[in-house]
Parts: sequence; C-alpha cells; structure tokens
Amino acid sequence: MEDWRRIDIDSFDPNSGRLTNDDLIPPYAHHVTLQELQPKIAQLRSLATSGDMSSATKLATEDPPYSADANTKAVYFQAVLEALTQVRQADIATIVKQLSPQQQDVLVKYLYKGMSLPEGQRQGGILLAWFEKLTQSSGVNPIVHFLSDRRTV
Amino acid sequence: MLDTSKSVLSVFKLVKAPIYSHCFSIDRSLLAITCNTDCLVYRFGGGKSPQLIATLPDHDKTVTAVDISIHGRIVTCSQDRNAYVWEPLSDGSYKPTLVLLRINRAATSVSWAPNGYKFAVGSSARIIAVCYYEQENNWWVSKHIKKPIKSSVNCLSWHSNGILLASGGTDGYVRVFSGFIKGLDTKEAVSNSPWGEKFPFGAVVKEWYNGSFIHDVEWRSNIEKLAYVAHDGTLTVADSVEQIYSVNAPEGLPFKSLIWINDHEILCAGYSCHPVMFTEGSNGWQFSKNLDKVGKQSLPQSTSEDGTDDEENPTFGMSALRKFKQLDLKGRVTAAEQESAHENAIVELRPFEESNGQVTQVSSCGLDGEIVIYAV
Repeated sequence: MEDWRRIDIDSFDPNSGRLTNDDLIPPYAHHVTLQELQPKIAQLRSLATSGDMSSATKLATEDPPYSADANTKAVYFQAVLEALTQVRQADIATIVKQLSPQQQDVLVKYLYKGMSLPEGQRQGGILLAWFEKLTQSSGVNPIVHFLSDRRTV
Repeated sequence: MLDTSKSVLSVFKLVKAPIYSHCFSIDRSLLAITCNTDCLVYRFGGGKSPQLIATLPDHDKTVTAVDISIHGRIVTCSQDRNAYVWEPLSDGSYKPTLVLLRINRAATSVSWAPNGYKFAVGSSARIIAVCYYEQENNWWVSKHIKKPIKSSVNCLSWHSNGILLASGGTDGYVRVFSGFIKGLDTKEAVSNSPWGEKFPFGAVVKEWYNGSFIHDVEWRSNIEKLAYVAHDGTLTVADSVEQIYSVNAPEGLPFKSLIWINDHEILCAGYSCHPVMFTEGSNGWQFSKNLDKVGKQSLPQSTSEDGTDDEENPTFGMSALRKFKQLDLKGRVTAAEQESAHENAIVELRPFEESNGQVTQVSSCGLDGEIVIYAV
C-alpha cells in the first residue's frame, strides 16, 4: 500500500458515478435537426451574398442550434463562418455595436470555435479583428460567459 | 488599519493565508476564521484589533468553512472529510465533537439551521449531509441527501423555517431540498409555504438550471425569494412561481458571495475585490453602485508619453504589463496606484449589523487574509 494516493477509490464504489460528458449536456427539451435548420442556413447565405452583413450577423447569432448533434453544428458553423469572413474590417465595429448582449455571447462562441478549427484558422486574421472589436465594446463579459457556458455551438 | 474610502469602516489583516470562511457570533463579540488546517477564534470589538483567544486545531486538512449557531456552538468542516462541533466551555476553551459525515471527498460548506439544532454540510462527494444531535447516543447523526446531485456542492442556505435548504454546485443546478428531520422539525413551520405541500426529507422541492458553477445561494425568507451567483458573472433572483431575474456583473468578473441588504437590495462580491450593490426597480434587478471601487482617474495616466502604448482599451488586460514596464524601464514604482481594501478576491460576505430588516454593515473575508467591514 505504499502508493495509496494513486489508488482509484471510485473503482471500489459502484455508486460513485463520476461525471461523464453526458452529465454536462444541459437538459434540452427539443433537439434541433439539420432539416429544421436548412431554411435558416439558406437565409443566412442569401443575406451574406446580398451584402447585408448586419442582418446576416444578427441572424447567425440569434438562437443558435445548441441542442443539435455535432454534424448539424458543423454545417451551421460553416455558414456562420462564411458570413463572418465576408464582412469588411471597417464595418466590424459598427456591426458589433448593433448586437444585443445575448448575440455577442453567441458571437464569441463562434469566434473561439473558428479559431479552434483549421478552416477558421485560415481566416484567423478576420476572426481576431472581430474578437478585438467585441472586447472593446463589451469588455470581458462575453468571454466570462463563454468560459462558463455549457451550451456549445 | 488603513482607510481607503468612506464605505470601508475597518480592515483587519489577520493571517498570511487565505480566509475561506468567517463568521461572527450573534452578539458580534467573537470572530471565527478558517486558516489553513485550523480555525481561529478572536475576541472582537471595542475598537481594538481582534485578540486571538482560541485555536481549534483538530482538522488535518484545509478547513473550508465555519459557522456559529445562535447558541454559540462553532461548526467547522474540512477537506479531511470531517466536521467538528465545538462546544464553548466556561473557561473560554472549546470542546470538540467529531461528526462522522460518511463522505469520501472534501467537505466544502457548512451552515447551521436557524434554530441551531442541526446543520448541513455540502461536499465534493455529491452529497449534502444534514446532521443533528442524538441525545440517547451522545452523537451527531448525519443523514444524506444524494439525488439528484451530479457534482460538488459549493454553497448552502437554510430558509428561516429551518426546513427548506437551498444548495448550489458545480453541476450548474440550484436546488431546494427539504431538510425535514423527524422529532426536530414540525410540519407547522412549513404550512402555507408557497414551495409545496409535503416536505419529506431529501425531496427536491425546486430546481433551476444555470449551466455554470454556482458559487453562493441565499434565501430571503420573508418574501420567499432565492438569489444566487454563478461563475458566468451573473446574479439571479428566483421565486416559487418561476419568476427569474438575471443581471450581469458590471465588470464581467464572477461573484463568489452575496447577501440580501433588504427586500430590494443585494450586495455581491467576488473576483473584482470590492462589493457591488444591485437594486430591484420597476425593470427588475439592476446594478446600482460599487462600494470601495478604485476610481479610474487615480490610475497613472503617464504611459502615453513614450508613445509605445498603442492599446485602445486600458481596462482590458494590459494594466499588469504596463505596471511591470514602468517598474522595469523607468524604475518607477507606481505607489500612487490606490488599491481597494481587499487585495485579492472576496470569498464570503456576512451581515455585520442590522436594524429593522435592513443590513447596515457587512463583513467580508478574502484570499488576502483580510477581514473588512463595510458600511452599506
């Protein structure tokens, strides 16, 4: 028993039930499917191509598919990333100011997600520009929310 | 003692270790604080600095929480998975009684019920132990609340009826349990309660999902409301009919503790090192004022002279860098930089003086080893 600190005491207790990833998923009432999301993705694409970036950003950060599965989230993220990277640098600050605090919280989630994926890293400069303008207008609030929020995008 | 602003009444630097928890006796003549593996008891008041009168040494790991009952009994709990009840003796010493909590993780928080005959201990073993004294066996018995807690319990608060027990933890839920002990509590205490009809021990009366770590929860019993602070930097007030108000910390940093000042005011404190007041108005809860906040104008503004400082927002991130730049390049120690009374995070607030249901003075303890008393 010399190395007792390394003993996994939970394996001796069948009721210990360590937290699993499933325990950390918030209790969603309904799970969004890709089919339900398609109209929104199409609308987002058309707004982005028509150049109405303010509306596109608002739409992208409104009611994101938290409860969807990983595949659906990836498809939606792709559409959001396309929209975000089409914005001209000079317009970012204005658009960020038009967002509600809730929308800003969602935006920062997509920025972090973008920076964590190869397709986002290719557009790293513009994501960082978004991030800079966001922290200038709202301070650390959206970041603290992002760090502690279990609803992922 | 230093006087940093009007709201700070006194600052006591007691120990060179974090104070995770502190508590005053009912008459405010005694102060108990946690310090490493001990609990220290001070004689307090009379304008003098606190005098150490007793050290309660029996724990062998960090003491995480302390509470004093209306009868003067001190309860401490610790990461050594035990709790002790300390009975005051006539010669000023304390007689310890070990309470076997039957948990396999650290105890994190402890709270006496208002009547002083039972207490609840929260733990990382996903258990709340409700403990009461059994005369026949001369023994503190602990009963467990297990379901449906999924993670560590951080904080506990008893309703003034002594039966409803609110808890918050790292699973992101705030839950109200029944801590009804047969033979100790009466059903009359919860008759006409808006929270339910029947309160068998351990029943979940209500739960709210927040999603982030819950740091503190506090009842306002006379208006049947519950307030809690979480790691996402929000203060939330909820009642039995699902009316929920949530408000953000003005500086974004999370709060570790809260207390009700009156029915419409709540004081919070945490990682921003100074207390923050929230007030309920016609539009719900809103930030109203900072206590002991260091003003921005008092920060040194001389950095732009060298032209290298190109940051646009001085409140974000760069102030530490600037401080060291000053120190390193110019040998300038920015002594002019005024600190708030607490130099590190505030971890617990307690009411210090009350009149007519209004708290007029609060005490706080922090990771800097200080006890500070504020006028509200």
